[in-house]
Amino acid sequence: MVGKEGVDEERRDFLLTATGTVGAVGIAAACWPFISSMNPTLDVQAQANTEVDLSGVAAGAMRTVAWRGKPVFIVHRNPEQIAAMAQSEGGKDPAPDRTRVQEPQWLVVVGICTHLGCVPNKTEDGWLCPCHGSVYDNSGRVLQGPAPRNLEVPPYHFVEPTKIVIG
Amino acid sequence: MKLRALSYLMLLLAAPATWADNALKDVVIDQSPTALRRGAATVTGVCMACHSLKYLHYRDLLKLGFNPEDVAGMSMGNKLEDPLLAMTPPDVSEQTYGRVPPDLSLLAKAREDGPRYIYSLLTGFYQDKSGETNNHLYPGIRMPDILGWSGADASQRAALATQANEVTAFLAWAADPRADERRSLGYYVIAYLVLLTGLLYVLKRRVWARLGQGSN
Amino acid sequence: MAQRLIDWIDQRFPLTSFIKRELTDYPTPRNLSYWWNFGFLAGFLLMLQIVSGVFLAMHYKPDVTLAFDSVQHIMRDVNYGWLIRYLHSTGASAFFAVIFIHMARTLYYGSYRAPRELMWWSGQVLLILLMASAFMGYLLPWGQMSFWGAQVITSLFGATPLIGDEIVLWLRGDFVVGDATLNRFFALHYLVPFFIVAMVLIHLVALHHVKSSNPSGIDLADKDNIPFHPYFTAKDFFGLGVFLIIFCGFVFFAPEFFIEPANNEPANPLLTPPHIVPEWYFLPFYAILRAIPDTLGGVAAMSLSILIFAAMPFLDRSRIPGGARFRPFYRAMFYIFVVDVLVLAYIGSQPPGGLIFKIDVAATVIYFAVFLTLPFHSRWEERWLHARGLPPALRNLLDSASEPQPRREAR
Repeated sequence: MVGKEGVDEERRDFLLTATGTVGAVGIAAACWPFISSMNPTLDVQAQANTEVDLSGVAAGAMRTVAWRGKPVFIVHRNPEQIAAMAQSEGGKDPAPDRTRVQEPQWLVVVGICTHLGCVPNKTEDGWLCPCHGSVYDNSGRVLQGPAPRNLEVPPYHFVEPTKIVIG
Repeated sequence: MKLRALSYLMLLLAAPATWADNALKDVVIDQSPTALRRGAATVTGVCMACHSLKYLHYRDLLKLGFNPEDVAGMSMGNKLEDPLLAMTPPDVSEQTYGRVPPDLSLLAKAREDGPRYIYSLLTGFYQDKSGETNNHLYPGIRMPDILGWSGADASQRAALATQANEVTAFLAWAADPRADERRSLGYYVIAYLVLLTGLLYVLKRRVWARLGQGSN
Repeated sequence: MAQRLIDWIDQRFPLTSFIKRELTDYPTPRNLSYWWNFGFLAGFLLMLQIVSGVFLAMHYKPDVTLAFDSVQHIMRDVNYGWLIRYLHSTGASAFFAVIFIHMARTLYYGSYRAPRELMWWSGQVLLILLMASAFMGYLLPWGQMSFWGAQVITSLFGATPLIGDEIVLWLRGDFVVGDATLNRFFALHYLVPFFIVAMVLIHLVALHHVKSSNPSGIDLADKDNIPFHPYFTAKDFFGLGVFLIIFCGFVFFAPEFFIEPANNEPANPLLTPPHIVPEWYFLPFYAILRAIPDTLGGVAAMSLSILIFAAMPFLDRSRIPGGARFRPFYRAMFYIFVVDVLVLAYIGSQPPGGLIFKIDVAATVIYFAVFLTLPFHSRWEERWLHARGLPPALRNLLDSASEPQPRREAR
């Protein structure tokens, strides 16, 4: 009698574990659609690419375009700026200028300060972040201030000599 | 109101045949990928002269198995993320037809028995005695007989019926593009729930067995 | 470690004792049938509606120019948006189905009688809150049925004597159902569930004070009570599994079953659809509204048809326990009532017309007659049962209940 009850008890424990496991897997799976629904929607993902016509940007001028909702600075650098940047390695996050551009006259960087996400203002020699005073040069490299890294270079490619697709 | 009822009544008395003609046609819609793609080509090339499908984007057509070049051919210079808008501006259509042609994105869901409604409408055109084109399903419709059903002979109608079927298939897909995903996920969900419920049933039986007889 | 944490909490908050008293050891009649599962299911649906609703609200836009488009955005572009929306729309119908069965069980077994009047009345408030929430939620997709449903129902308040027009204007915040109406309905649709949760807590506190009723209609001696866990946790979860299979069948394979085709067309204030019908769960009450040609009378009758349930503890004057089980006449009335409600639902779905109207009036009269004759025939039935001799099953029950009962152990 006792033995039989023990077997029953054991079977029930196994059944409970099995049912509990199957149920827990189901609950976890049921959470996924809700979590996933908070990710970018298809129409947001479809806007991941931005096409920019550069022909209207004069030498020495800058244009700001939106890419995935973020500002992207496109600077048409003049020969003096190119020369000056080629000689420098930047500041606390050193990087040669050629690793930061595809065509030397076109600098394309994400216009978000790597410190806390403000949009830096253009100056003669680069950018100055209004929030905490980080200074960037005309290659988007941080020279001074609290920013830890250079301005990010987004993925982009030239589809025509004066047309790029960012993303 | 009364006048209209009266005219319907006279219509019924004059032509008892319309009774059968305005019923939805019993048709099986071919939902194969080929039919959907051919339907998409007809809709973007013909229907979208006047109608929009604004809840669909050109990128959505990629899911039907088109490659980007095909879609570029259908999109007339629109980008992949652009909605499917009518080629004729709505205000021009309104001047021509007296109202903006309805958006077709949801038509298959917005009518009772939607797909059969669309098919029956497209193949419901006829020429009345005075030579005017009319529609059995929608008397007084302002849409022209775009497929040329009313003037077609029997052999032409076979081809037109296929085309109407494809258009219907595409519009049904457009109204519910996630239907396949929904059903295939549904099979897994139901199978899982049957397993879980089976386990819960056995567990419940085992638990209640402790009470001995008299349990329900 | 875990035990020390629980001890720490228990010294400050009655966690273990609360769970023990109200959940695991909570004494529950062992003879509850599956009809007693529906309260748990209603609780599950409340949670499902709140969760799916919150996630829908993250993508929905309560603006007349954007609302319909944002629903299509949810259906087409949001990851699993179609699933969340269909869970919510099907969940609304399932909620009413479950609540109606829950109410029918209460009526059949006489569970509304002393000492459970407050449970019944809090349930009545819950029904009205649920109806309000469903009605306001139905406007949000901003389809043709949404718009015209809201237009018609808000117009009903125009039947209020003297200040009817002002009330309608105030409810809508506009001359027709418009942007202001949509915005406030969204705000209130999000708010009402908090009241529902609060009322459910009151419903549960009352339940745990008086304990569950049971098919016998007699409060059982302790020997016939069993702990809620594991017996009723196992039973409730099994019931939930069966419910979910049916529910997911609709969600995945027939999600538009509960959605009127006309609601897939954007609201058009200039064009009423040829045939407007409310959602199926309002149909019987809508039929009662239409049975009375006078607007004020119709509104009054419709309100009364819902509120009259609250009078059940007063109307039913029989002291025979077990509801319809041991009361043949009451049982017959119960089934007449169920059939009558189904007839009314059918009538409510039909376009108004001569014969339909006559059936509607007859069914409405029967609806109220079932309630209003109850005080007389319930008393008569009790006397008749005693005169005829109580059925043996009932006599045994009464005998066992009148045995001296051991006092409940102090908790």
